[in-house]
Amino acid sequence: MAIDPQPEAVPVAGGPDPAFPAAPEGASSDRGPWYLAYKRFVRNKLAVSFLGLFVLIVLFVLAAPIWANHVAHTGPNDSHTLQKLRVGDEVREVVTPEGRPIGPQWFEADGKFFLGADSRLGRDEMVRLMYGGRTSLFIGVIAGLITTITAVILGLLAGYYRGWVDAVIARILDILWSLPVLLFGIALGVSLQVGGLGIGPLEIKAGSNWIPIFVISVFTVPYVARPIRGEVLALSQKEFVEAAVAQGAGPLRLMFGEILPNLASTLIVFFTLSIANNMLFEAALSFLGAGVQPPNSSWGTMISVGEELLTTQPLLAIIPGVMIMLTVLSLNIVGDGLRDALDPRSKVRLEAHTGMVEPEGASV
Amino acid sequence: MKKIVLTFLVVAFAAVGVIGLSSCGGGDDTTSGGGGSDTSAEGGEGKEGGILKATYASFPDYMDPQLSYTAEGWTAMGEVYIPLLTYKHAGGAEGAEVVPGLAKEMPKISNGEKTYTLFLRPGIKYSNGKPVKASDFPYAIERLFKVNSGGSVFYTSIVGAEQFSKTKQGGIPGIETNDKTGEIKITLVEPRGTFENELALMFAAPVPKGTPNEDLSANPPPGTGPYMLVNVKPGQGWEYERNPEWAKANSKAMPEYPTGTIDGAEVDVIRNPQTQVNDIEQGKYDWMQNPVPAARYTEVKDKYEGSQFLVRDTISTYYFWMKTDRAPFDDQKVREAVNYAIDPAALERIYSGQIKGTQQILPPGMPGYSKFELYPHDMAKAKELIKEANPSDMDITVWTDTESPNNEAGEYYDGVLKELGFNTTLKIINADNYFTVIGNQSTANLDTGWSDWFQDYPHPNDFFQPLLAGESILQTNNGNFANFDNPAINKEISKLRAEQLGPEQESAYEAMDEEIMKEAPWAPYGTRTLDTFVADNIELDSIIYSPTFFEYLTSFEFKE
Repeated sequence: MAIDPQPEAVPVAGGPDPAFPAAPEGASSDRGPWYLAYKRFVRNKLAVSFLGLFVLIVLFVLAAPIWANHVAHTGPNDSHTLQKLRVGDEVREVVTPEGRPIGPQWFEADGKFFLGADSRLGRDEMVRLMYGGRTSLFIGVIAGLITTITAVILGLLAGYYRGWVDAVIARILDILWSLPVLLFGIALGVSLQVGGLGIGPLEIKAGSNWIPIFVISVFTVPYVARPIRGEVLALSQKEFVEAAVAQGAGPLRLMFGEILPNLASTLIVFFTLSIANNMLFEAALSFLGAGVQPPNSSWGTMISVGEELLTTQPLLAIIPGVMIMLTVLSLNIVGDGLRDALDPRSKVRLEAHTGMVEPEGASV
Repeated sequence: MKKIVLTFLVVAFAAVGVIGLSSCGGGDDTTSGGGGSDTSAEGGEGKEGGILKATYASFPDYMDPQLSYTAEGWTAMGEVYIPLLTYKHAGGAEGAEVVPGLAKEMPKISNGEKTYTLFLRPGIKYSNGKPVKASDFPYAIERLFKVNSGGSVFYTSIVGAEQFSKTKQGGIPGIETNDKTGEIKITLVEPRGTFENELALMFAAPVPKGTPNEDLSANPPPGTGPYMLVNVKPGQGWEYERNPEWAKANSKAMPEYPTGTIDGAEVDVIRNPQTQVNDIEQGKYDWMQNPVPAARYTEVKDKYEGSQFLVRDTISTYYFWMKTDRAPFDDQKVREAVNYAIDPAALERIYSGQIKGTQQILPPGMPGYSKFELYPHDMAKAKELIKEANPSDMDITVWTDTESPNNEAGEYYDGVLKELGFNTTLKIINADNYFTVIGNQSTANLDTGWSDWFQDYPHPNDFFQPLLAGESILQTNNGNFANFDNPAINKEISKLRAEQLGPEQESAYEAMDEEIMKEAPWAPYGTRTLDTFVADNIELDSIIYSPTFFEYLTSFEFKE
């Protein structure tokens, strides 16, 4: 009974899609909008190759336990300050008596300390990079999910009910929007990391990765909820909604059965892009000590640890930095590709709102 | 002594005598290490005047003479608040010598070493112009108790002080004063061999009557020293200006106390020690109070040693404390296991060679020190002990501060405890208030963590009474982080501090060191060297490193 969303969702703005000239347009009726989107996406070579890169990064971090157990033979938080490596006939200290960690060994030590040791604690940088990537991606994805779900609920309520519900929700979002996100995130992150957080039965222990997830989710909601509210406002005036009303549909069914499916393409794009933003936010928080807590690693904390040795071992800060850059870049390009594919005329953009790539505020 | 929050600085020189003296300052400057009566900083090679730009990596615990108990705080306020007695302005062992401060001369001791009589020098004024009165001294001591200072434990031997610490009213009958003659008579319950040292601590510096009995860090009370604190912005920095009364009155009343050459100083808190090092190299700042971070240590040492950089031994102990009054560390076997599991050799590297491994309470250089090692590193034995003890509570929180490499030491310790089978949560607290947080008994989950101790005065009592005596377990500003309370040890501590330090007492302290380590309330891991790093426009050799106050502000001079 739901009406095919594709033709209805967007007012016609620019004639037929150049990617699909007249003939396929006619054939589309039996193939469906998702198939069309898929076709459009596949034609975008740039997006596809960066999707490949992103998949590689995910596989890389998923392989962390394999590398840790079978190659490096150490966990991400295991300290090897006094250990010596036998490389051929040579014995190398993981940390010198002056406190200098060993540099990259590549495969000279059978993969141990592939990228060297991370600090005077003598932890394996490669293992930490893989586990740290898991943490960073996990936080990015989970925070993205929470943000998107919360934003959808708020956006639907505000856009559908309008009136005072809209007024209250929109003002709260405005307030959140107007806060200096990074400063507030640091303040909230630091205080929660000391005391933990208890909301009813939900308890987050100090030091848990759920704290940065919580902080990031709270502050990114407005950036997704506001555009969604706008779309809901527009969608709820459409004929298919009126048709559903005429059939006796209640508010819940209208919101979740009629309007929500029409938001799907927007949400997929938002979700993808918000993972990228969240990872940057997490990196900034962790770099400043308000995110992932030691001894656990994330790419942000690794940059912070590596920064100390920037003059002697710049790779320690550069490698996790490059990982963040590649991941965020690939997600952004994939997100743009998805938007072009799903909704070629859409003007929605998720701005890089957090702007915290360079934590200028800190005395770095 | 004080804790150093950070790694701090300074100090040491301490080494008092034993180690450090010979390395002091190259000797080409007559003022260096020259000591008190030569009024130090004056008459060096440098020029008069100038504003010193200094940087600290953290804000002191308190900017209040009765409350501060860290090296940062003491260094920051050492030339602002002068007690009745004070330490000679000199490096090395000489700098641990107690000399008259606001008092005319050293106290007359009578009544079986229980009564101390001193006379205030006439004509001394606070920086706000008010004259200093004899009765300001008991006011300061009462204030010490009223604000629950960690330093109050030194003064409980005064008659009535014990009672006052509980009721906080009615005054302390053991201190009698006469504002007209300036006489101050202090009566102790029992003799106390360390009391002159303790009268020379900033805790006992007089403050004007009526000074509020609360933390005055944001607006410190007026002092009597050559400089005064202005513009204190907690967490950010502060400034020094000349005390207007110093030239008019105080320097005439205390001619042997150095006046200093600089006109003042501006201190900024810069939390990234790497930035501090860069700033000193570029001349943006003249001096960093905290040590060069471990990651830059070798580089700075190679480049600047002798010209802008000096390394000193200190009399200090770095250790991990374990709360002995709660599970799982109420079990001695668990504490022994931790001692076996900690490897000072690994921590030496984590500190880039800036600590020397030890496993006892008293550090080298302290009377009574005699090397022993009860717990040579042995992980297998540690695990076995944990197995025997089979603690029911394996969830613990590990505390350390943000100052590198203490945070890394905390991460190392956290890893060791995990290896022993504990489920740990690591809490890394801002160095500004680390000791305030862990010194508050109501802070949740204080199980074990990092601390350090630098001597207040060269007497082994300073490592036992404030840190390991039952009487020093305080609700707030606690210094006995292990909450260690052994009646036999408590008794021995009070007995020994009543006696004058001699060979017999030294061997008793030596035995006490081992006795306590058998119970393992701490896992000590080293004694620290500290360094001083200044810009190239500062006379490195004229800086006086006191074993108590570290760098004296009056000893900084700009080069001609």
